[in-house]
Amino acid sequence: MNTVSEIIGLNWIVIGPTLALVATALVLLFCTITITTSDAVKKLVTISGIIFTLFTVFLKFGLFLTEGASSYFSEKILLDEFSLFGNVLLGFILLFNFYPIWNSSFELKDKTTEAIILTLMSTAGFMLMVDSENFMMLFIGLEIGSISLYALAGINKGSLLSNEASLKYFLLGSLASCVLVYGISLMYVSLSVTGVYETTIAISFIGSENVPLTTLIGILLLIIGLLFKVAAAPFQSWAPDVYQGSPTGYVGYMAATAKVASFVVLARLCIVSLGFVMDKFELFFSAIVILSILIGSLFATVQTDMKRLIAYSGVVQSGFILSGMTSGINGTSASLFYLAAYILQLIGIFLILSTISGELTSDFSMNNLSGLFIENKFLSICFSIFMLGLAGLPLTSGFVSKFILITNLWSYEKYILVFALMLSTVAGFYFYLKPIWIAAIDKPENTMAKISLQLNEKISIGTLAAVTILLGVFPNVLINISRWVIENYL
Amino acid sequence: MDAKLSTLIYTLILFPLIGAMVIFLMPKNRSELFQPLAIFLSIIPFSVCLYLFSNVNSKSSYQQFDSINWISSYGIKISFGFSGMSHLLLSLTSVLILLSFLSVTDKHSRSKGFIGSILVLHFAVNGVFLSGDLLSLFIFFEAILIPMYFLMGIWGGENRRYATIKFIIYTVFGSIFIFIGTVYAGVISYSQTGTLALDYLTLTNLSFTQEQSKALFLLFTFGFLVKVPLFPLHTWLPDAHVEAPTAGSILLAGVLLKVGAYGILRVSIPFFTEGFLAYREVIAFLSVVGIIYGAIVAIAQIDIKKLIAYSSISHMGFVMLGISSSTLLSLEGAIVQMVNHGITSGALFMLVGFIYERRHTRRISDFGGLKITMPKYAAIFLFTSFASIGLPGLNGFVGEFMILMGSFNTYKLLTAIAAFGVVLAAIYMLWAYQRMFTGEIQYEQNQNLHDLDTRELFSVIPLLVLMLLIGIYPSFIESYVLNDAKFITDIVELFTGGLD
Repeated sequence: MNTVSEIIGLNWIVIGPTLALVATALVLLFCTITITTSDAVKKLVTISGIIFTLFTVFLKFGLFLTEGASSYFSEKILLDEFSLFGNVLLGFILLFNFYPIWNSSFELKDKTTEAIILTLMSTAGFMLMVDSENFMMLFIGLEIGSISLYALAGINKGSLLSNEASLKYFLLGSLASCVLVYGISLMYVSLSVTGVYETTIAISFIGSENVPLTTLIGILLLIIGLLFKVAAAPFQSWAPDVYQGSPTGYVGYMAATAKVASFVVLARLCIVSLGFVMDKFELFFSAIVILSILIGSLFATVQTDMKRLIAYSGVVQSGFILSGMTSGINGTSASLFYLAAYILQLIGIFLILSTISGELTSDFSMNNLSGLFIENKFLSICFSIFMLGLAGLPLTSGFVSKFILITNLWSYEKYILVFALMLSTVAGFYFYLKPIWIAAIDKPENTMAKISLQLNEKISIGTLAAVTILLGVFPNVLINISRWVIENYL
Repeated sequence: MDAKLSTLIYTLILFPLIGAMVIFLMPKNRSELFQPLAIFLSIIPFSVCLYLFSNVNSKSSYQQFDSINWISSYGIKISFGFSGMSHLLLSLTSVLILLSFLSVTDKHSRSKGFIGSILVLHFAVNGVFLSGDLLSLFIFFEAILIPMYFLMGIWGGENRRYATIKFIIYTVFGSIFIFIGTVYAGVISYSQTGTLALDYLTLTNLSFTQEQSKALFLLFTFGFLVKVPLFPLHTWLPDAHVEAPTAGSILLAGVLLKVGAYGILRVSIPFFTEGFLAYREVIAFLSVVGIIYGAIVAIAQIDIKKLIAYSSISHMGFVMLGISSSTLLSLEGAIVQMVNHGITSGALFMLVGFIYERRHTRRISDFGGLKITMPKYAAIFLFTSFASIGLPGLNGFVGEFMILMGSFNTYKLLTAIAAFGVVLAAIYMLWAYQRMFTGEIQYEQNQNLHDLDTRELFSVIPLLVLMLLIGIYPSFIESYVLNDAKFITDIVELFTGGLD
């Protein structure tokens, strides 16, 4: 028995985070259906589940240090730097979003546990996705995560916008999943490969010149499926509607998890699997980057809804991250730094938006912000920090990430991308400063409703803002981490 | 450099920032304490600057005194350095900040944001003058924008939205070029040293090809020239000055305009000399156009604040002419003129602020005969106008004379034309004085204006003393800029082969 488990690489620690999250979800389900439990107990169960998840991620680090990068479960699950990076980021996203998610769910009354379970399941799915070596495993993880997110988008049944968001997300998301699966099957048909490393071996075996067109199309479709999840143009059309329609308390979480998981997988795919055939996709990726930056910037300038603005800014930021990921190893490390810095700002902004407008409301007009500086200094300063961070103003993490990324791109001699990124940075100053202007300087037409900030919300927002500044002033630690992720592939 | 000096210089950067935090953390109901506290907080950097006058290092050319590992895996360091020019500009900044705190009236002095923004501005400007590498220079350069955005946007005049957005867009547009230049320099540094080190000492040792040098010079200089501003890039300046609150105008004219010229002297010319030599004629031509254009447009102004704003364009044109001729005398003159213009235009904007608080108008034609009701004010205004025109014995004369003398050998015709700028300055300043102060009182509102009170006198008279001091004893200030000017002329001569 022992030998069999050794041969197939049975190691529960590797999928520990996923298991812990699923187990927490099941306990919560049990607590709701079988025995009635008070909310306090459920809260305790959830938070201890999340902390246990973080602990298992820590255990994975221990395993990684002794075993090194290796695959488990007969080459289905991979434990490498990318999966650890993804796991840590996903875990922190869940932790920072715990309170908005809990508060939103609490407002739902009879569906409180349902929403929590969906959240936990989606993180479980995405954790599995970043851990996957096999493409089928990737698909399973992606689907577990995405289906939970579709349901989460429409959890506020009373709201028309929420229903619309859910349906749109579901229809377009399923289409993207179909494309992804079709891509995987094409790769299997042409090269009989379904794994990250198998693909590399197969490609290097037959030579990058002889890779069949079917495989290339398969890879392309697989990548498109992932690009859909990160809302890169021209696959961005769902993002503004979903962001706008979904309950505000959940949007930060939804946007962040899907982005982190897909980008980590994409980074691994580009570095590990596609190393030999990357030049064939260069034009495609450049086109995606430039389209994302152009479309995102153009549409962001005309938005009047805050959540739509963040959605289009997300399209731009995806373009930035993608530009580094597809430009070689140093670029990928810059992109991973960018990703982490961006995600923290994104979560922070949605935390603030949900405290201002209430967790369950859908649309958030920019005028809601007017008078924020008079009403609540703390929120307004944090809000400015996040927006300036997105714009890339010095002394925030946004500047460091943009500087490192653009320097790397320049040294790869990708002048067109550099030019596009610079242009969008200028445009960014216009649309990121606009909400700050409304919050700080515009005279409010009617005085703002009193914002009651709970201590935990204050702590999470304050921490995220402080991290945004700290990473701008002392970026060394995170940059070293992002270098460590790609170090072995140099 | 010794440790004591580095500590002192770090206090110059950190103290304003700590001060801003203290102000932000003060309880709201003790708003009467904000102004005294701010004055106290800005006395400390001021005394540090005063102390540094006696230090031998403040007369030297550029010296790096500290370097911190910032991003170790790319070899990026944040360095700090210091020279005589930095020291003079730091002193100017601390004087103007101190006096603008003194001159602030009740309307603004009780606002945390206003006082705090000025302290943050002080931090950022000091950072620019002390930065020792391109990256931290850019970071501080951009950080100036944040307090200015709030100062102009919240406490500005009626048309502040337009002016603020214009100011921000112009500056961000310019600084994008500086950013591109920084990245480009980083890529070159990476290919030659294997790290992204961008401190000035590394940059001196890098070898740029002529094309690289030209491109980098254009990128950096364009960004800095927007801030100076040079003639076709100047249009943000009058709007920004008119809409900014008085303290904002003082600091904008007195300090922020110098940041651009400082950047050119510190970065563009020493490191990208070949580019400078290729484009210096263009800059000289544009600055002379700016001198004449600014002066002529100033004559036509009906708003006294706008008049001073256009006169700034003219005066900064002299600075740029001095820089582009790059002889020892003209460079010294340019740096001295930067300080002079800071003092003079700061005083003028302060004076305009005083009258605006009394009458809530800045139209020249709304005044007339103020000499009768406000004799002290009229005397001080006349004195400052003379300094601005360049009357011998006052500071304006020293700078402009040095620039014109030094530039004549390099650009004979341009300098001759530029000299007319001095004449035009006499026309616009004295004509404005005549319309505002002489004659009979035409409007009833001007009958009962009270003259300057003690606080106002205290906030403006130090500047008058400085004007007089620099005017009659210029060699004192000149001794602090000599080595900086020499450093630049040496490099320029190295590239021109000593023929100049």
